[in-house]
Amino acid sequence: MRIRENRVQTVLRVDLSDGSFSKEELPEEWTGKYIGARGITSRLLYDEVKKGTDPYGPENILYIGTGPLDGLPVGMGRLSMACKSPRGTVAEGSAGGFFGPELRRAGYEYLAIKGKSDKPVYLYIENDNIEIRNASHLWGLSTYETDAALRFEIPDPDAQFRYIGPAAENLVHAATIMGNLNSCGGRAGCGEIMGSKKLKAIVVRGHNGIKPHDYDAFVDAYKVFRERVDIKTSRDMWTPVWNTYGAPVLSRLFPDLGNLMTRNAREMTWDAEKAINISSENFMDNYAYKAKACWCCPAPSCQKLYSVPSGKYKGFKGGNYWAGQPIALGSLIDNGNMDLMLVISGLCNQYGLDIFHIGFTLGWAMECFEEGILTKADTEGMELRFGTFDEDALVDLIGKIARKEGFGELLSLGCSEAAKRIGKGSDRFCLSVKGQELEAIAERNLLMVALGVAVSEVGPDHTRWYPPYPCNPSLITKDELSNLGIDLDLRLAFDTRNPAEKGKLLRWFTISRAIVEALPSCVFLVRDTLGLDLRPWWNLFKAATGFDLEYQELLKAGERLMNLDRLFNVREGFGRQDDRVPYRISHEDVPKFGYKKIDDNLLNPMLDEYYASNGWDLDTTVPSFAKLIELDLEDTVEDLWANGIKVK
Amino acid sequence: MKALQLRYVAAAYPITSKLDEEFKTTASSIQELIKELDDVYGGFLEMFINEESGKLNLNTMIYYGEKSKVPVAVLDIDQAITDGARITFW
Repeated sequence: MRIRENRVQTVLRVDLSDGSFSKEELPEEWTGKYIGARGITSRLLYDEVKKGTDPYGPENILYIGTGPLDGLPVGMGRLSMACKSPRGTVAEGSAGGFFGPELRRAGYEYLAIKGKSDKPVYLYIENDNIEIRNASHLWGLSTYETDAALRFEIPDPDAQFRYIGPAAENLVHAATIMGNLNSCGGRAGCGEIMGSKKLKAIVVRGHNGIKPHDYDAFVDAYKVFRERVDIKTSRDMWTPVWNTYGAPVLSRLFPDLGNLMTRNAREMTWDAEKAINISSENFMDNYAYKAKACWCCPAPSCQKLYSVPSGKYKGFKGGNYWAGQPIALGSLIDNGNMDLMLVISGLCNQYGLDIFHIGFTLGWAMECFEEGILTKADTEGMELRFGTFDEDALVDLIGKIARKEGFGELLSLGCSEAAKRIGKGSDRFCLSVKGQELEAIAERNLLMVALGVAVSEVGPDHTRWYPPYPCNPSLITKDELSNLGIDLDLRLAFDTRNPAEKGKLLRWFTISRAIVEALPSCVFLVRDTLGLDLRPWWNLFKAATGFDLEYQELLKAGERLMNLDRLFNVREGFGRQDDRVPYRISHEDVPKFGYKKIDDNLLNPMLDEYYASNGWDLDTTVPSFAKLIELDLEDTVEDLWANGIKVK
Repeated sequence: MKALQLRYVAAAYPITSKLDEEFKTTASSIQELIKELDDVYGGFLEMFINEESGKLNLNTMIYYGEKSKVPVAVLDIDQAITDGARITFW
């Protein structure tokens, strides 16, 4: 057994077209410059997937990687998955589980998978033993079936798997990459690209060890971190909630606050009885039977396993009930039936479908049906109305979407492409940005969220800025903030409906969360003061890697990563015109709560502040020459010029 | 006497074994209400008020909403309460 250090990171490159593979050590300085995980996958993606690459072609590369803190107790098994999205943008998403630490134990931080196989395959990695194996017998199986089949084939209980379901095989929009049954990620397009390469699964088993560079310093840093996130000691109002009942408690609170997207966000409140039906409290009392955490996570709540106790779905088992389910599969389609919601959610995991794609696309279709844009002739006879839909038909429809059958084929495109196909003004009801559906957090009451949704390079993705609330102001002084490099009036910045300071706040969130995801760790553990004071993360990084990085250099690494994502998009032709909010959000007020639509008058000043604070051109959003020099990204300038992009 | 709509979320729910209730009280502030609730539901006071500082614990939250108004987070436990208010504890 070899004990791995954390300074040098290694890529395993695999070409599925010819079955070749190679191992490459990344330059040691990259660990200081890009940290790891999302930082390195973004750099590799920018360098290696050139402008105009066909997303479904062999030259698109799927990167799956982790970073120097994974396998240690703060990495939480986080994985970054990246490629060029079928929608043309950078696609990056993260997931938890146990795959990341196992990949590191096998001797790699990253997989770079290019080419295309002509038949279904899976990749088997056991230290230096790399095999591309036939997966014809797995193709078409659900994710649960695939997990079981692989477990039978590879009985080593420590082997870790990532796989796709039928949705990704069929190139369904936003299909995910799954693992540990219910751990999903990569909704921005990574599942589709994995499916296009006919790569059904990746199996990894490692026999090496991982240790921090300075054990004692790491333990000291870990104690500080742990205090911030522990249920007993965290000074964060959400920590006990998140660690016990989980985010779906919001379904009971959000209707009062005007934050619950209901009936495709036509309304922002919901019937209290329905909200109680799909609440965490009901879930914990009657459905949950086991907590399931990611690697070393101190908050064992995200992936609770559940079983439907009675009724026609009695015995249906699944896992993962978080804020997305009660909104996307509950209020958004006016479904107050917990059994049905958990069945749809479980089926999404089994097919490898993204719950936000399903919820928002069903919401779009229901509104189109009620407006007469879609009829029974389109829906194969289904009365697709909010709240009164046929349950059995809806459950069948989920499978049809994954298989692209009948009416399901239209919905498999996602609401943006589906609206383009049927026209008739149906794009007014589509809640998506850059072709990707919204998520659970509402925009019109939280302007920073609206801005975050608009500018995100991957499309709506709350992990780019989560959590969007402040720590208690008494925990950090203005002087401390200044010393930490935060030039913000927090009072204004966290005034949810005042546009002032939102650009600068989002900039800080994006940089700081990029750092957390690059280490990697989980943004759901950004608790207490950890969202403003990154020194505990910084100390963990230094102790783990031995890099004596200045604090400001850590911040610069986060900014570098954020700029690389923007550079990828501008090189592909994306710009300010794409940084928008959906039609409904920009055209309709929420009168009951007094929330205004986020029209150009409201959005543009926030965009200007965001771009200006980043050093980006206000019209094109291209980072300035000075900014690229400051971030040691001068090597990108020539590439941008060569692609006809002016850098001022 | 005030009639309040109380709601217990997440960790407050196991203490009360209730999701919500109408609660009649003569309490005039959030602090008095919490003390009164502690008589009914042991552990309520400890959960919400820090013994040393006498202030709200930083890992809890209370939302206070007067009739027909959007609820807001309670920052001061001496905040007055009015008849018909909806208060959420978590």
